[in-house]
Amino acid sequence: MAAYLGVPVEISSNDPEHLAFLKAAGKGELALQRCVNCARLRYPVGNACPFCTSLESEWSVVSGRGVIYSYEVVTQAIHPAYRSRTPYPLVLVELDEQRQIPGPDDGVRIIGTLIGADGQPESEERVAIGLRVRVQFIPLGDGMALPAFSLTDEAPEARPWRLGNPQTPSTQ
Amino acid sequence: MAGLRDKYAIVGIGQTEFSRDSGRTTRTLAVEAVRMAMVDAGLQASEVDGMMSYSMNDSTASPVVAGDLGIRLNFYMDVSGGGSTIEALVGLAMGAIEAGMCQTVVIFRGMNGYTQNRIGGTGRQNPVFTGPMLDQAIHGMNSAAQSFAPSFMRYLYEHGVTSEQVAHVKVAHSKHASNNPKAYYPQRVTVDDVLSSRWVAKPLHLLDCCVETDNGSALIVTSADRARGLRQTPALVMGVAGRVSKLGASYHWPFGRISRVAGYHAAPIVFGQAGIGPDDVDITGSYDAFTFTTVLQLEAYGFCGEGEGGDYVSSGIIELGGARPNNTSGGHLCEGYTHGIALVAENVRQLRRQADDYCPDWSAGAHTYDYREHGCRQVRDPEITMNLGWASPATGSALIMRRP
Repeated sequence: MAAYLGVPVEISSNDPEHLAFLKAAGKGELALQRCVNCARLRYPVGNACPFCTSLESEWSVVSGRGVIYSYEVVTQAIHPAYRSRTPYPLVLVELDEQRQIPGPDDGVRIIGTLIGADGQPESEERVAIGLRVRVQFIPLGDGMALPAFSLTDEAPEARPWRLGNPQTPSTQ
Repeated sequence: MAGLRDKYAIVGIGQTEFSRDSGRTTRTLAVEAVRMAMVDAGLQASEVDGMMSYSMNDSTASPVVAGDLGIRLNFYMDVSGGGSTIEALVGLAMGAIEAGMCQTVVIFRGMNGYTQNRIGGTGRQNPVFTGPMLDQAIHGMNSAAQSFAPSFMRYLYEHGVTSEQVAHVKVAHSKHASNNPKAYYPQRVTVDDVLSSRWVAKPLHLLDCCVETDNGSALIVTSADRARGLRQTPALVMGVAGRVSKLGASYHWPFGRISRVAGYHAAPIVFGQAGIGPDDVDITGSYDAFTFTTVLQLEAYGFCGEGEGGDYVSSGIIELGGARPNNTSGGHLCEGYTHGIALVAENVRQLRRQADDYCPDWSAGAHTYDYREHGCRQVRDPEITMNLGWASPATGSALIMRRP
């Protein structure tokens, strides 16, 4: 039985899209749906192309590399399973593929936890908008995995920005 | 865009207390609120023939509430939705009446938001991850705070707005709440109080987040013609925009600038119907699920320029006594949380000049306009109010009302 942090992961038999996504991740591949008609990638998993409405798509393995577009640091878990993980940084990553397409403010974005080499949540002092990241895979069982991200040693795309002084409160 | 400007009105409002121990069902809360709205309007059960409600599968449906009160309905509709639903339902109620399906519609939200289904807690604890939860919730992005935080963070990054500036929303609303005997949190707070409160999901502190409460609230919509024979000064609907969305609204982060919220698309619809602009609005009711939701919406609707929201909310403009107060009840941050309907009720009260503050004769419209603690919260002679409803950064609604 697949599970994440002890919570069962159940893919219903009529949901081949999520199954394919998580199975590809289980093989160490970040695979996104690519529209057969207009060739654009999309995420999250969907049943039609948001750019041309085509129902036909194929799975396309992407680099899994990108830049932190935004982030947050969850300090109070809502789901009990995540309490042992706090504080954990969640990053909104803009992938290298399809940047600024179709508009200058668009891109293929993916949510994931930012993790360190030990698989644990990355120290929040190291998270910043503009930093380069690459995909990692957290095993779920049953041949599936959940994408997450880790920092790379590539140069930042822009001057890194993080929430901090003078905004950091004296008491937390 | 063609609308129905001034042809319909909100003629009755009813609200139970805001608490964390209602001790009764959503059915009871809804029945009490609907009855209070009928009494407020001066309507008998036989004079209400339409009913609508919204919930997140956590409440009681119209036929049950109508049955309890002996109301025979010619039209009812119970929809799924939280924030930004009330403005949309006011528009749909107008449509139902315009289509000849009924004549007078009561809209309610009955919600045990603390003792039963907590938006920030028990309501989001999935026992299993499946379907769309695999896109977002599984990553530990469950609550509204966790879901919206990247939008707020990106906004701070793009515009250099500070947490301190945004905290002024809580400060302003707490001042308003201190003059509202119904408010769950009537204590005034400072910017330091907000910034020193514990983190929930950075960049959100605890005091950047709204309160969870139990409450039932109701509004009654009917035609302006019928409103003339009723008890209260009607709040005429000048324009309404319902659940206007950004592309890909099931999540707010896949497309476009995530720091620009759906109100950007709703503004031309609602201002177009009303035939006015932001400068004509005397009071705003910008949905404050969080401090920053108020800021981003005020920008999106053009009350200030993009990136100027921090300056706007920290300038005093949004406080009682300022040029355009926001959420004079104290809003979701301080008064209580019922998914936006109470923010509309407050603007109806303001237009009637009947803010239920600490002025002894508020119900007669007699106010001191002394906005110190435990004083007045009536704005002086407001003519036009606007509600900016929020479901997420990707979905919003708006409602402009005026005094006849």
